[in-house]
Amino acid sequence: MSSTAPLPGYSLIDRLLDEQRSLSAVERFSRAHDRHEIPAMARHYRDLIPLSAPGPGEQYAFEVDLDACSGCKACVTACHSRNGLDEHETWRDVGLLIGGPERQPLQQTVTTACHHCVEPGCASGCPTLAYDKDAATGIVRHLDDQCIGCQYCLWKCPYEVPKYSAARGIVRKCDMCYGRLTAGEAPACVQACPNGAIAIRILRAADAAACFDNTGEAAEASRPWLPDSPAPHFTKPTTRYLTAQKWPSNTRAGDHFKIVPQPPHWPLVALLLLTQAAVGVLAGDLADRWADRPGQPLPPLLALILTAAGLVASVCHLGRPGQGWRALLGWRRSWLSREVLALGMFTGVTTLSAWANWRHTLWSPTAELTLAALSVTTGLFAVFCSAMVYADTPREFWCLRHTAGRFFGTVAVLGAAILFALSSLAGRSDIALKSPAIALSLATAIKLALEIRFLRNVEAGPNEPALSPLQRSALLLRQHVGPRARARVAFAVLGGLLLPALWLMGAAGVWIPATALGLCLAAELIERHLFFVAAIPAKMPGGL
Amino acid sequence: MTDPLTELLRRRDGPLTRDLVLEPGRFGLGRVPARLQPDDAVEMVCGYCSTGCSLKVHLRQGEAINLTPAPDYPVNLGMACPKGWEALTPLRAPDRATVPLRRNAAGKPEPVDWETALRTFCGRFKELLDRHGPEAVAFLSTGQIVTEEMAFLGVLTRCGLGIEHGDSNTRQCMATSAVAYKQSFGFDAPPYTYADFEASDVLVFVGSNLCIAHPILWQRVLRNPHSPEIIVIDPRRTETAMAATQHLALAPKSDLVLFYGTARALIELGAVDRAFVKAHTTGFDEFARFVQPFTPERVCAETRLSRETFDRFVGSVARGRRVSFWWTMGVNQGHESTRTAQAIINLALMTGNIGRPGTGPNSITGQCNAMGSRLFANITSLVGGHDFADPGQRQKVAAALDLPETRLPRQPCHAYDQILQGIDEGRVKGLWMIATNTAHSWIDQAEARRRLSRLEFLVVQDMYHSTDSARLAHLVLPAAGWGEKTGTFINSERRLGLVKKVARAPGQALSDFRIFQLIAHHWGCGEMFRAWSSPEAVFDLLRRVSRGQPCDISGIRDYAHLEACGGVQWPHALPADGGDPRCEAPARERRLFADGRFFTPDQRARFLFAPPRPMPEPTDAEYPLLLLTGRGSSAQWHTQTRTGKSDVLRKLHAPDAYAEINPADARRLGIADQKPMVIRSRRGTVRALAVVTPTVQPGHLFMPMHYAETNVLTRAEFDPYSRQPSYKACAVSARPA
Repeated sequence: MSSTAPLPGYSLIDRLLDEQRSLSAVERFSRAHDRHEIPAMARHYRDLIPLSAPGPGEQYAFEVDLDACSGCKACVTACHSRNGLDEHETWRDVGLLIGGPERQPLQQTVTTACHHCVEPGCASGCPTLAYDKDAATGIVRHLDDQCIGCQYCLWKCPYEVPKYSAARGIVRKCDMCYGRLTAGEAPACVQACPNGAIAIRILRAADAAACFDNTGEAAEASRPWLPDSPAPHFTKPTTRYLTAQKWPSNTRAGDHFKIVPQPPHWPLVALLLLTQAAVGVLAGDLADRWADRPGQPLPPLLALILTAAGLVASVCHLGRPGQGWRALLGWRRSWLSREVLALGMFTGVTTLSAWANWRHTLWSPTAELTLAALSVTTGLFAVFCSAMVYADTPREFWCLRHTAGRFFGTVAVLGAAILFALSSLAGRSDIALKSPAIALSLATAIKLALEIRFLRNVEAGPNEPALSPLQRSALLLRQHVGPRARARVAFAVLGGLLLPALWLMGAAGVWIPATALGLCLAAELIERHLFFVAAIPAKMPGGL
Repeated sequence: MTDPLTELLRRRDGPLTRDLVLEPGRFGLGRVPARLQPDDAVEMVCGYCSTGCSLKVHLRQGEAINLTPAPDYPVNLGMACPKGWEALTPLRAPDRATVPLRRNAAGKPEPVDWETALRTFCGRFKELLDRHGPEAVAFLSTGQIVTEEMAFLGVLTRCGLGIEHGDSNTRQCMATSAVAYKQSFGFDAPPYTYADFEASDVLVFVGSNLCIAHPILWQRVLRNPHSPEIIVIDPRRTETAMAATQHLALAPKSDLVLFYGTARALIELGAVDRAFVKAHTTGFDEFARFVQPFTPERVCAETRLSRETFDRFVGSVARGRRVSFWWTMGVNQGHESTRTAQAIINLALMTGNIGRPGTGPNSITGQCNAMGSRLFANITSLVGGHDFADPGQRQKVAAALDLPETRLPRQPCHAYDQILQGIDEGRVKGLWMIATNTAHSWIDQAEARRRLSRLEFLVVQDMYHSTDSARLAHLVLPAAGWGEKTGTFINSERRLGLVKKVARAPGQALSDFRIFQLIAHHWGCGEMFRAWSSPEAVFDLLRRVSRGQPCDISGIRDYAHLEACGGVQWPHALPADGGDPRCEAPARERRLFADGRFFTPDQRARFLFAPPRPMPEPTDAEYPLLLLTGRGSSAQWHTQTRTGKSDVLRKLHAPDAYAEINPADARRLGIADQKPMVIRSRRGTVRALAVVTPTVQPGHLFMPMHYAETNVLTRAEFDPYSRQPSYKACAVSARPA
């Protein structure tokens, strides 16, 4: 990009461009002689970190003096710079609390990072055991090379602490500057607060836990915790927020009324729908055999294909698919590991069953039936594990009742819809079609009733004192993604209720089961999409 | 917890883990990411606000790779706000201007080489000047470039190119303080040093949200060991008001009445320092008579403060032994701002709170080099705060700069608003905009943009080709930014600090200094500026010019000396015997007027006052809400052309325009929190997200200035003395969108 000036030789422009390109600061003002390795900020943070390491039963914890915090947010940028994080990555966040009576309004900036919980949710959920609660310091550390990027910890942590990097394919998080703290240096945020509002203290893990065990108004008021923040009982965070002020009852986060749709996670939508459809098909097929209708080769094979497709899709969800095998390590505590295991078992048994079905001359009918029953049982267990993956997070929208209802509902709806269509295509008897049609209508009706009841249950107006996470989910479903939610209901009513009813009332034509299947698939696809989109988490107070 | 086999399968090390490993760093940094281990470091002053923090830039092979706040600098003591921490990020933005851009026949900007750009620049401007006279071309500059560049620009345009008028965006933030000080003290001289924050027993903050606007100065307030009374005078319950011991949530623009009433009450209480007033001021008796009608009843009625609140405030000022008054834009941006600033100065003068530790009527500046602009830009005074009309001073400046006296301008420039108005009046045909963003920042934005679009030739010299103003330009000159050039800034407490070159400017971007050199050369007046060969050479010229002025910096021998002293506050004069001032490094914290001698001819400070005038645009039935403006967060700077480039900073503030509204108003108007609303003024209509909060009073709206929407609404009103725009009060209406 040199100048194309027509001037002969070396022009002033050339000279100035050359000068601009040279870096002069070092020659003139280098501090190279000043090579001392003693941290210059040590005198500032001397009182902000403990003199000794934690003893047995003790751990390091953040302590935030809210009365000293004036909202400059330097802690966030200091953490970012001193730890060399990616451009968009922050391990510390700030939010705002607003409230109070009109004459004495309150606004308070709150700074949050990892709370290094006594019972960290991230660690209990991680399928690869990539989290370590360090025995000596209590710091919850993340093993970056162990992480496969499943992002389950993002759901398990109630405080939005783990941050996923799509570029790296892993999660990273605050480690309380472990490397600094264990060398006697203060964490970046502690060093950077102009007002000394962040400190590291040692506390007894038992005390940290106990302070959240007592419920009731008095206990809650005296707690070193924030209003409009996730309930601390689940993970027992160790960060203590200190203030001399009393929180007015109407205190709320700056982003309290901000309702943000959550990521749709399409690969997981595919995994759940496909595996649940597979289980449904096998279950219907088993019912057929139980009723002494001859088994067909198609359903087990179809189930196998569906399951395989679902598993492939789920791998696409991982940041580091090649490391996916590590997900089995956490089976002792992680429902995600168990889901992977159960789906693996289901695939194995179903393969066997499909093979037996295909070459059923080789097998006794009893063995074949037993294998089919085993396949359905492992399938149902896998669906249960899937439901537990979500139910085991602090997201209320994913509580077991809702999630299991949806997942087993999908087993019934899609299983019935597929068999309805398959039987019709195969030109089977009316009786063979009747039961899936009835099952489809029933399952659809129950599912829709549950979903609509959820929406009715949690209405709330804007500017009410507070919205619960469930109310946020309901508002999101009604307003932000309203058209999608209504389309889901319309498709389900049409494909899952009206068409089967039409068929049961005697209308003929292959198009009815085929269309019903198409509509049900679309309806379930939207339902599962919304299951992710509307799962609004509780979170630490955010900003404007 | 886990069995040995499982443990074997847990990968505790690897490339991803090593990416974050910390190792001991040198240069007093403590542990640093191994990936970012520097091989050298330099310290330099931050390029955002006037606090003037020093940042330690981590270098590898001379190039900046990271930074941390400098631990030993007397200003920031190892701290920085988010903007400072992220100061390197905006340099790497993809929308940096890397080549000159010229609008082609079709009106589309296309890259041209410097030669063509300079030919176009000189050709078009010369043609306009020839055809329409010296007013036909004007410049609008900034408080963001180094002093050496400001002086170069002011002398180049007004002595070399024959351009009559130019102004700086410091008109938008500091003109009021400059005029108020000049009139009251005889020179634009903020008297304080930051140590005064720590020494006061009463601190009064007027229209200053220090916690957000100058967060690193708040640190000094918290270090005050005297359990000071902290009084915040602001219509909003800001972060600073939250941290105060007294908050006077007064009616907007009623501060003049409040301070006159305070003066009256102090006189009644006998809290006047008669000895000081008699020895060092003039006009007190007239002032005392003038404030008589400002009874507490009137004050409380007009400010809407309770009598108890008012009395407590007056009592604190009366009892305080070291009372300091600090003001920023809440005062400076008003329709009677100069008199308001002087009302504060009057309070300090009458109580003798000046010249001693922990006292002073102290204006905290906005931009990193507003103070450099005020003294050396050759706009409102001859370079170095000299008088255009004083023959002796003209001779001195001409000699020091080696320019013919006849080339020196004879009067101050037209103010910013007068220049823009000149476009409508046909006086101004061409404009050169340097490192400022008029199309966003100027009051009554639609009018400003309309005027800019009427120009025959608009040149914008900026780091980015994407600013609102650069998009309107006929010619964009790519400029190097802070960190890519050398020079000095002067901070709020008059401290000079160095800016250094630690990053390569992208493409063909050049420092403003070099662009001025090229323009001088291509215009044909290069000879006149032969001595202006480098920033340090210009610094030397400015040292000589400043000799004998209140802002004397002749004692700073060169950049190396400035560096060795860790920043120097003016004045620092060369000893009369010409001795080496290097031996006597000035004290780290110095304040003015310890001897009670001011810079007026009689060395006395003036009491200046005028009857309060009503707000120019009161609310009415159609526009029932009063719009207040100000800074939104410490992570945003002005029109966000720089801070908007950092992902991290963007996380620290609301992404889009918002307006804070009181819950009672929101209820009444059916406006819901976090939902869009439509705000209308007589100038325009905008959409903004509603933030329902009791921290703004009923009847008010607050919008941060960082979003372009805000100035669509504001009303072009100016203080008559400083011609600073009154950004902070105009009538609007609001409804749900």
